[in-house]
Amino acid sequence: MKSSWIADKLIPSSSQRSLILAGMVALCLSIPGTAVRAEDGDLSKETAACLKCHDKAGLEKKLENQETLSLQVSTKAFVESMHSKNDCEDCHSNIESKTHGKEKAAIKSKREYSLSMQGSCRECHKKNFAKYEDSLHAALVKQGSQEGRKDAPLCADCHAVHTLRSVKIIGPIAETPCAKCHEDIFKAYSKDVHGLERVAKGKTAPICADCHKTHDIKAASLGDGIKDSCLSCHKNAVAQHKDWLPNAALHFEAISCPVCHAPAAKRRVNLRLYDNAAKRQVSEKTGVPLFDSRTDAADLQNVGLDERALLSLLREFNQGGIPGNTVLRGRLEVSSGIEAHQLAEKSKAIKDCDTCHKVGAEAFQSVSLTIAGPDGRPLRHGVQKEVLSSLQATESVRGFYAIGSTRIKLLDYALILVFLAGVGGPLAHMTIKWLFRRVREKHVAEIRAELAQARTQALPGDRPADDDASR
Amino acid sequence: MHKLYINPLPVRIWHWTNAFGFILLIATGLQIRYLDLIQVVSFRTAVVAHNWVGFVLIANFFLWLGFYLFTDKIKVYHPELSPTKYFRASFRQLKFYGYGVFRGEPNPHHASVYSKFNPLQSMTYQIIMMLVVPVQFFTGFLLWDVARFSSVVEMLGGVRVLDTVHVLFFIFFTGFIFIHPYLASLSETPWAHFKAMITGYEEVEDEAETARSA
Repeated sequence: MKSSWIADKLIPSSSQRSLILAGMVALCLSIPGTAVRAEDGDLSKETAACLKCHDKAGLEKKLENQETLSLQVSTKAFVESMHSKNDCEDCHSNIESKTHGKEKAAIKSKREYSLSMQGSCRECHKKNFAKYEDSLHAALVKQGSQEGRKDAPLCADCHAVHTLRSVKIIGPIAETPCAKCHEDIFKAYSKDVHGLERVAKGKTAPICADCHKTHDIKAASLGDGIKDSCLSCHKNAVAQHKDWLPNAALHFEAISCPVCHAPAAKRRVNLRLYDNAAKRQVSEKTGVPLFDSRTDAADLQNVGLDERALLSLLREFNQGGIPGNTVLRGRLEVSSGIEAHQLAEKSKAIKDCDTCHKVGAEAFQSVSLTIAGPDGRPLRHGVQKEVLSSLQATESVRGFYAIGSTRIKLLDYALILVFLAGVGGPLAHMTIKWLFRRVREKHVAEIRAELAQARTQALPGDRPADDDASR
Repeated sequence: MHKLYINPLPVRIWHWTNAFGFILLIATGLQIRYLDLIQVVSFRTAVVAHNWVGFVLIANFFLWLGFYLFTDKIKVYHPELSPTKYFRASFRQLKFYGYGVFRGEPNPHHASVYSKFNPLQSMTYQIIMMLVVPVQFFTGFLLWDVARFSSVVEMLGGVRVLDTVHVLFFIFFTGFIFIHPYLASLSETPWAHFKAMITGYEEVEDEAETARSA
């Protein structure tokens, strides 16, 4: 069953809600002079009553963990917000009118309070909330409840609920909520081709959510990453690449877009454990931490998995299932999220095949083995780069090969040997022939002598005929 | 001495197209694989040329196959369907190249219209034309567009396995391209076989002449 504990935790029952509503109305009516100002638009009397107090600057509350929670809600901002059609009680349904403002409600921390409000969001935003619950962000929130992680994003961390404006209104890019947690990545983005264009042209250029989606966020480095997001705007990209790039479809499959379009980025080979039957990357089950234990056991020195360790690890992952079902699929990608956001102009993208197809290419100096962790983030373990050019790894790394740069060394030696044999064989044969020239001449002379003798012996036998003729 | 028409036009077209094609494939293959050592043309040019030449040679292969399947010339590969005789003759030919040729012994094989190959040649060419070349073309064809043929590639063991097979046969052909012309020069005169593959006619000595010239 999909977990919806965030929602279930603090949604009041319908009977409670009715009581609270009645209380709020009573509270509102008990306040004299609650006429709604014209500029406040369609605010209900109840909401206007709430804002009368809550619009006061400096209204705040000391929490149990000594944090200070601002209780101020700007009427102006609220009226302009997407939530202006809602009443306060729609979200704050647990407020008791009789005691509100008189008795102190205990709130442990800002985080605890935001968590308690998640259910209110779900009431109206069911679809998006369901997507969120299936996202990496929600997985981190759940993980946080068990392991003490307190920075995973809740609705209110991204959405300023009282001032929330339509997504159609384009604000300064610095207001993007993602920047709060992904600061380094956002800095890189703001300087790359998308970020600069966003500032210059507005909505025509993408910002975080356009590529990473808003609520159903997954780890960008898992699976095929966000290639589809790139192609959703750059619709002709595949056709354009086919015009000049041999094996273009394979490049699209095995290489992430920033590898070429972020020319300054550091690259790495990501060997992903892939489930052929399920057609997706192998993911670790919650509470069964096999990946770390198996990779650590296979790499005791922690120097990276070698070809043997990789093969035996692959066999371990295949045990108990369909033989050969779990395979390694290689993908070339940039080494960090920051580098994935250093996209350059199209003219600066790497088009020189030498960058990757030359032995010793930078892209193949770092190799890692990856599966999807239980929280949806990748789990990695280092792999020795020599694996890519090892004959022994032909089976394990069978799905990844870059001509030239990951060539198998043993075949180079075989080519040298065959070349030497191809040139040396005829040369040696010619030399032996030359050395044997006298033997040959002698032998030929003997044969000629034998032939001559045979002819001479044959002549008397011919004589009768000659005699007959002469006669 | 008498002249024999042993290389019909389709065979000669096929042979020289194949010869120059394979040299081009080896050259571009070397450029593709050893970009760090060779920089005659760009990687992309080498790949594109390699692909085009590959397709030409695949078509050329079918010219060869069609010619032998639809004419009686297929007999040149099996003049006599006797395995014992065939293997004995092969051994005799091997003995000639490894020993007799140094002593000036006559070539045990005498060419005729339906027996232009010595048994060793016939055996080698059949292995090459019916196994090595088709496998090389097939792996090359799959590698030309790996994503398009991904299911076949996966079934055959993946792109790395295919490439390894392709490179192994490339190594074989690199050796062949040196050995083949040398062995061709071991005829009565060094250029006789080369001329025959251009004109179609080979000058064949009569048996007595063979003994004399030996």
